[in-house]
Amino acid sequence: MTVLCRLRHCHLSTPTLCRRFHDARVYKEDKRWPGWQVVVGIETHAQIKSRRKLFSGEITDTLIPEPDEPPNKHVSPFDAAFPGTLPKLNSKCVDLAIRTALALKCDIQHRSSFDRKHYFYSDLPSGYQITQHYAPIALRGQLNIQMPNSSPFFVRIKQIQLEQDTAKSTFNPRKRTSNIDLNRAGAGLTEIVSEPDLRSPEEAGMYVRTLQAVLRAVGASDGNMEQGSLRCDVNVSVNRVGRRPGTRCEIKNLNSVKFMMAAITHEIIRQRAILESANDLDSCTVPQETRGFDENTFETYRLRSKEDAPDYRYMPDPNLGVLVLSQDRIRAIHDSLPELPWEIRDRLREMYALSERDIDVLLNVDSGREVKFDGEKDVDGSGALPMTHELLGQLSARKETFADNSLTSDHLGELIDLVQNGTITGTSGKYLLRYILANPSSLRPVQITQQLQLTSLSLFSSPGHSNPTSKTDQELNTLCQAAITALPNEVAAVRAGNKNVVNKIVGRVMRESRGRADAKGVKALVEELILGGGDKS
Amino acid sequence: MRGDVTRKWTLLRHLNSKYRTYSTETGKWRQVIAEKNGSVNAFVHITPPQPIEDGPLAGIPIAIKDNIATAGSPTTCSSAMLQNFVSPFDATVVKLLRKAGADIIGKTNCDEFGMGSLNVHSVHGPVVNPFHSYSSGTTWLDREKRSAGGSSGGSAAAVAAGMCVAALGTDTGGSIRLPASYCGIVGFKPSYGLVSRWGVVSFADSLDCVAVMAANVSDAKRIFNFISVYDEKDPTAATDDVRQMASNSVQEGLHQLRRKTRTGTSLDGIRIGIPQEYFPSELSPTILGPVRRAILSLKSQGATIVPVTLPSTSYALSAYYVLASAEASSNLARYDGIQYGNRVVPPHGADLRKTSRIYAYTRSAGFGHEVQKRILLGTYALTADAFDNYFLQAQRVRQLVKNDFNSVFSIPDYYSPSSHAKDPLETTVDVLVHPSSIRTAPPLPTAKTDLNEDAGLDAYVQDVLTVPASLARLPALNVPIHDYTERKVQGQVDELDDGWPIGISVVGQWGTDELVLEVGEALEELRVSGG
Repeated sequence: MTVLCRLRHCHLSTPTLCRRFHDARVYKEDKRWPGWQVVVGIETHAQIKSRRKLFSGEITDTLIPEPDEPPNKHVSPFDAAFPGTLPKLNSKCVDLAIRTALALKCDIQHRSSFDRKHYFYSDLPSGYQITQHYAPIALRGQLNIQMPNSSPFFVRIKQIQLEQDTAKSTFNPRKRTSNIDLNRAGAGLTEIVSEPDLRSPEEAGMYVRTLQAVLRAVGASDGNMEQGSLRCDVNVSVNRVGRRPGTRCEIKNLNSVKFMMAAITHEIIRQRAILESANDLDSCTVPQETRGFDENTFETYRLRSKEDAPDYRYMPDPNLGVLVLSQDRIRAIHDSLPELPWEIRDRLREMYALSERDIDVLLNVDSGREVKFDGEKDVDGSGALPMTHELLGQLSARKETFADNSLTSDHLGELIDLVQNGTITGTSGKYLLRYILANPSSLRPVQITQQLQLTSLSLFSSPGHSNPTSKTDQELNTLCQAAITALPNEVAAVRAGNKNVVNKIVGRVMRESRGRADAKGVKALVEELILGGGDKS
Repeated sequence: MRGDVTRKWTLLRHLNSKYRTYSTETGKWRQVIAEKNGSVNAFVHITPPQPIEDGPLAGIPIAIKDNIATAGSPTTCSSAMLQNFVSPFDATVVKLLRKAGADIIGKTNCDEFGMGSLNVHSVHGPVVNPFHSYSSGTTWLDREKRSAGGSSGGSAAAVAAGMCVAALGTDTGGSIRLPASYCGIVGFKPSYGLVSRWGVVSFADSLDCVAVMAANVSDAKRIFNFISVYDEKDPTAATDDVRQMASNSVQEGLHQLRRKTRTGTSLDGIRIGIPQEYFPSELSPTILGPVRRAILSLKSQGATIVPVTLPSTSYALSAYYVLASAEASSNLARYDGIQYGNRVVPPHGADLRKTSRIYAYTRSAGFGHEVQKRILLGTYALTADAFDNYFLQAQRVRQLVKNDFNSVFSIPDYYSPSSHAKDPLETTVDVLVHPSSIRTAPPLPTAKTDLNEDAGLDAYVQDVLTVPASLARLPALNVPIHDYTERKVQGQVDELDDGWPIGISVVGQWGTDELVLEVGEALEELRVSGG
């Protein structure tokens, strides 16, 4: 029974009472609280960007773009904890957790397992949450944090675990009733636990932003704090410099970086006041508590004391067994891992010699566009990166820096969208970019597109133009007919079976259309006009 | 309680007259139920007759224990908590049986959520053993009222009373084998993982098995073959290649067995282990004599009888109750009165600040005494202070029990072949045979004896012979040995024999279900041939 040995091992190796502390960071005085050291660790819950929930096969509500999705629509009997249901692990969620673990340079565990964490709450239908308490999927990672105007430092990642999300409960104070929405119940989360390596509210904020960028880059999570797909619990303690670390308090469920930083700041002030008001400096400690954050007062408040801390009665889940990950599977995920933020940064710096600020803007434009649900590559989303590269190329050709650039990130985003949804072709997009850089204006790219008549002449490739008698289609038809009339010898060759000659006719159409036509569509149309009989036109 | 039974009886008669027009097979079985169930209380729900579906089990009436989900019929688990609960889906086993054309004739009584050994802890009232000792001189209706065993007492009694051809039950620590033994029928608990648990209301997931009850081994085997299918919905299901490998190793063994039996007697060549720990001081002399004679018959049929020792057996029961209760406390946490099932609204002025306090009203009212006791025990075993000494300790004992079995079986454990005995030929055995229970069916508690007091330690000790195979996830089969009339004809009745059914168990290595059933059939033949 391997479960047994594993449990014993983990149980002994988890330091519960003694908190060993080896500070990897050098103390730096903070003017706001001179003589005090702040120690912060963060537990981040990131909703896994999978189409389906972690154990039930039910689709996740994050798939639905509308925020007004009716409650309790995406609920399988398992999600509602119906008797007789059993969990079935979604391997796509595991793959995305492995991506996160690889990006955070963790030791991925070839054998991990699931445990039940018990507590009674209305947002937890089964009375327990399936998580990875004794043997998490990944241990010992690190994340490199770069604060402005200082050298980078590492935050150690203690562990990454897979777990279920809870339902959403909302309280109606007027009716004095709680409403439960199970759409979120059982969705996959990765919990990323940092070591207490952060030393200020700002560092904590930067850690979460950096983590957010990593999660988005690898497609593991949308990482959107406002929409709840990324949530943080923060552990804060303060101590006088040179003394042993203070007692930590945990602040639960912070849902924006701003609130998190405010909560930490308030907590530092609160804890410092307790310690400073004490008569006996050596024995005074802050009471260990779990606290909440009030978004109106920007203060933390007590949720429960240590004495009220629940005993979660962790039990190995008897259904799910051991999650075995082969080296081959981990390697395959490693080899297909999307480019990480710092890798893109290095590349942009080396290839284009951009300033860090410019790179930040570009990474912002780029983030979250390329990886779809379940880690799939966005085949249509090829527009963003080429376009930013084009922008960089144009800027350097014009000997301008990125900061001089008159194109706002909103406009660049719109330009990319125009290319991606087929309104204009890639060629027209590049033309439009050059035009905007040369003729700065406040007009939106979509307006300039109309001004310059750049709208795509695509007949076959643009989903927005299904009506075959539209104006653009007629124009494209006319262009093709003209090219056929102008090149009788080539047409004869095509009719004789020499198909390659079609490309010459297509090339003429493309020139005449000033890049507004899509080559593939033109080729099909020309072939139809020459070979397929004119009845359709 | 009695009022309930009478009401049901009336209801059944009504149903029966309503469907009298169905002069089909399906009507006939329902008529037997209508006649007998009032005195047995085996069925808690009877499905209306359906047109017979085509299929290999066309029209065969099969009863389903009430902790296995059936769409369209209630699945109460004999608990007030789920008294009005109808599952939105069929359990995989039910689906498979329906597909084969079986007539899912009704739902059977059981101990609440499968917890109990006597089938007295049920919101539907106790099951009464249908066995009638002919020497008693009474009519069947006035027969001595004894327990049918638990927790699958309703399924066992339904088969024993001829109300269906076969029944499905669940076996977590003996819940099939014990009632089968008390009722004098065949009960087969397959290797853990062979039959899907999807739709089986969890008591203790690591131990729960869907099991088959029938009047004879070949019927049990037939039903088992229909439900022993890999199901991707059950994460603990054995995959097809594992099944194939286990089957191959058994086929080799059986082939050898059959080759030898061509000239010899039916059990020539097989090595049967008799574990000495399964004859404890609590074992009634009523059982000992017939079991000893059955073992002697096996020997005379050519089997080699090998005394073996399974030294961890004495710890198995305690370990079982810690593990099963811990898992139960977890699995039953979902019955909070919110999503489904009955809900008790907290009284006016109650403390509503904590969710658990609100749930407490529903859980105190909905769970019976035995279930509450086990939830409390299991909850304690999982607390941070007790986890090491109870839960982990019990896990270790579970491994020791498994090691014991591995050291005596000739076929290695598929899941840990390395732990296999070094010298298979000299010391190992193919199957184990031992008594299924320490006594014949005990009398039902009367109005005078309080149910809850009766279910003290005695009821737990009854499980002592069945629990080790559950902990080790092994296939185990109860076969009735000679009934009293036969025993009398054979001149094998002594003054201690009370004439009630006695069962003998066959236990094999994981995955050797075919072998266990084969030996069971041989035991059955002994009975028929009077060997």
